[in-house]
Amino acid sequence: MFKMIKKSLKTATVTGQYPVNSGDAQPVQCTAEAKRKAKPFRKSLTIREVDTGSCNACEMEINALANSVYDVERFGVHIAASPRHADALVITGPVTVNMESALKDVFKTTPDPKLVIALGDCAINCGIFKGSYGVTGPVDRHVPVDVRIPGCPPRPAEILQALDDLRKD
Amino acid sequence: METLFEKFTGQFEGKILNVRRCHGIPVANVAKEDLSAMTRFIHHDKAMHGTLSLLWAVDHRPRDDRYELLYLFTLRGYQDWMVLTIDLRGDDRVFPSITSFIHAAQWYEREIRDMFGLIAQGHPDLRRLVRHEHWPKGTHPLRKTYPWDTVLTREQGEYSFRRIEGEGVFEVAVGPIHAGVIEPGHFRFSVAGEPVMQLEVRHFWKHRGVEKLFEQKFLTEGVTLSERISGDTTVGHALAYCEAVETLLGLEVPVRAKYLRCVFLELERLHNHLGDVGAICNDVAFALAHAHCGRMKERMMQLNDRLTGSRFLRGVMGVGGTQVDLDPQQFAQLVGELDTIEPDFTELENILAVNASLNDRLETTGLLKARTAWDHAALGYVARASGMDRDLRFDRPFAAYDLLNVKVARYQEGDVRARMRVRIDEIHESMRLIRQIRSDIRPGPIRVEPTTMPQAGDWALSAVEGWRGEILYFVMAGEDGRIHRCKVRDPSFVNWPIIQLAVLGNIIPDFPLINKSFNLSYAGNDL
Repeated sequence: MFKMIKKSLKTATVTGQYPVNSGDAQPVQCTAEAKRKAKPFRKSLTIREVDTGSCNACEMEINALANSVYDVERFGVHIAASPRHADALVITGPVTVNMESALKDVFKTTPDPKLVIALGDCAINCGIFKGSYGVTGPVDRHVPVDVRIPGCPPRPAEILQALDDLRKD
Repeated sequence: METLFEKFTGQFEGKILNVRRCHGIPVANVAKEDLSAMTRFIHHDKAMHGTLSLLWAVDHRPRDDRYELLYLFTLRGYQDWMVLTIDLRGDDRVFPSITSFIHAAQWYEREIRDMFGLIAQGHPDLRRLVRHEHWPKGTHPLRKTYPWDTVLTREQGEYSFRRIEGEGVFEVAVGPIHAGVIEPGHFRFSVAGEPVMQLEVRHFWKHRGVEKLFEQKFLTEGVTLSERISGDTTVGHALAYCEAVETLLGLEVPVRAKYLRCVFLELERLHNHLGDVGAICNDVAFALAHAHCGRMKERMMQLNDRLTGSRFLRGVMGVGGTQVDLDPQQFAQLVGELDTIEPDFTELENILAVNASLNDRLETTGLLKARTAWDHAALGYVARASGMDRDLRFDRPFAAYDLLNVKVARYQEGDVRARMRVRIDEIHESMRLIRQIRSDIRPGPIRVEPTTMPQAGDWALSAVEGWRGEILYFVMAGEDGRIHRCKVRDPSFVNWPIIQLAVLGNIIPDFPLINKSFNLSYAGNDL
């Protein structure tokens, strides 16, 4: 027990220790319509991640948001275990043939009002998997998309910036 | 001294149609009637002790009107390879199943049936694997006649799970969408009371048609696609792809590039293993370890970003070498970072080692016996935690590992704790390797350009020990430097069926923990 407390005390606060602009990505600018829809969730936004065929790098970056360095909860963003509890769906990957109906089900079960965030190049335009027999198209072919966060994958800092912009005027 | 392959050819003298070597790998073409006896001999003979590493098919059209099935065996000591091939000509669509005596063949044979429409005669379970029930009948995407860019239509259909029926037996269905931020997959448990009686893993939700996409590319432009097969194994897949293509093109990679490849591969191992140790602890609600490991993993990923411009080390590999060089300052920065993280991690390790409630949950959970692991040809840390002494970095050194002398981590227990301890040992070993590379590496070129074009039909196999285990690539050249066929095998494809056995007798609440200790890729499995 003593060792654990000592370890915790020795470790300084790491939250916020990340470069804000390490890549050359342009900051995401959300549309006025998306911002209007996000108004009820300004102080608290519960997101649910749905993977429809990504390579799992986007999932790793969303998981990184929850670590003590990015600590997304300090901005009132919470990751829910079920789409029924979510305000926003974060969708990654091109929509595969096998995941198409699961995605539509998830969209239906998420209560209104809701936002849909397409995260990563694959979700936005199928990326490198474009045209394949197994891929039915980008996310907005199946459900309406409000926010697009490009990148392969976008860095956690870039995702934070987009979520921040979404909830500002 | 007689090699094991010579022992095999001696045993079946007169029955082997043709023997050749393909880039150093002995290949025997045999009649399909003799296949069962031969594979049985390779698998069961004490001296051969062969385990099935890969089973795949090639459609040779339009050059030749036949299907070829290839069986790659890794022989005793995990060092030597041999390949058996059989041909199916004309309208022949049936080949003998070997699953009943080589369990590792189970998913491969079902995959071949789905992708090529070739039927494994005598297979105990010929349900669809990759093709979900809504795929139209007769859809076999890897046949050369199937167009790569026509999206599938939908049909009605229902998948039948394996069922256990009886008083008090009930089923628990999980997925494809899970509670955590993870990939989609379906798990069907049959439970009586608390213990799991049966688990059926139903995957391939993320099937994107990767192998068909490769066939649309030139040999030199497949690296970006291989990096996106499984994001957490970016370097592993890219390296395996490059090694196969370099063998085909006859490229000799410069020594400096070989060393750099090892550095990047170990960096990938480090951030994944650090994350996994924390995640395993988190699944038994030991959040402190998770927080510390998450912090260290994040440091490693930020370091990756500073060194290469990508947190996942994307774009560092290239055919013929690497795209990114590290100068002495960057090496100093890298080793400096490791020097801070290692004592930090060791402190945490000491906390984990003596935490009774943690170890009580990890020990004897998700037990995988050595015999089961061998029967199913387990790979990576799963195999090494069950006493198998297999690590390609030592057994079949690739890149610069022949100059590095890797110490293989190994435990006998086969439980979740052993799988965690293998990772902990490998974290230290990876750090040691990077430090050693820093002192051994010499200035020089990092890339050579291809000058020759391979002949159509020539093929190469490559194997890389990624952080998760053995990644295999089979690349066959087509006309004008195109890819005719690229078979990708992530270790997840082999280890997923094994997890079905490791959970038996455990309670459902322990499944997330066991799953995490395997930490398999869904994307790499589904392709």
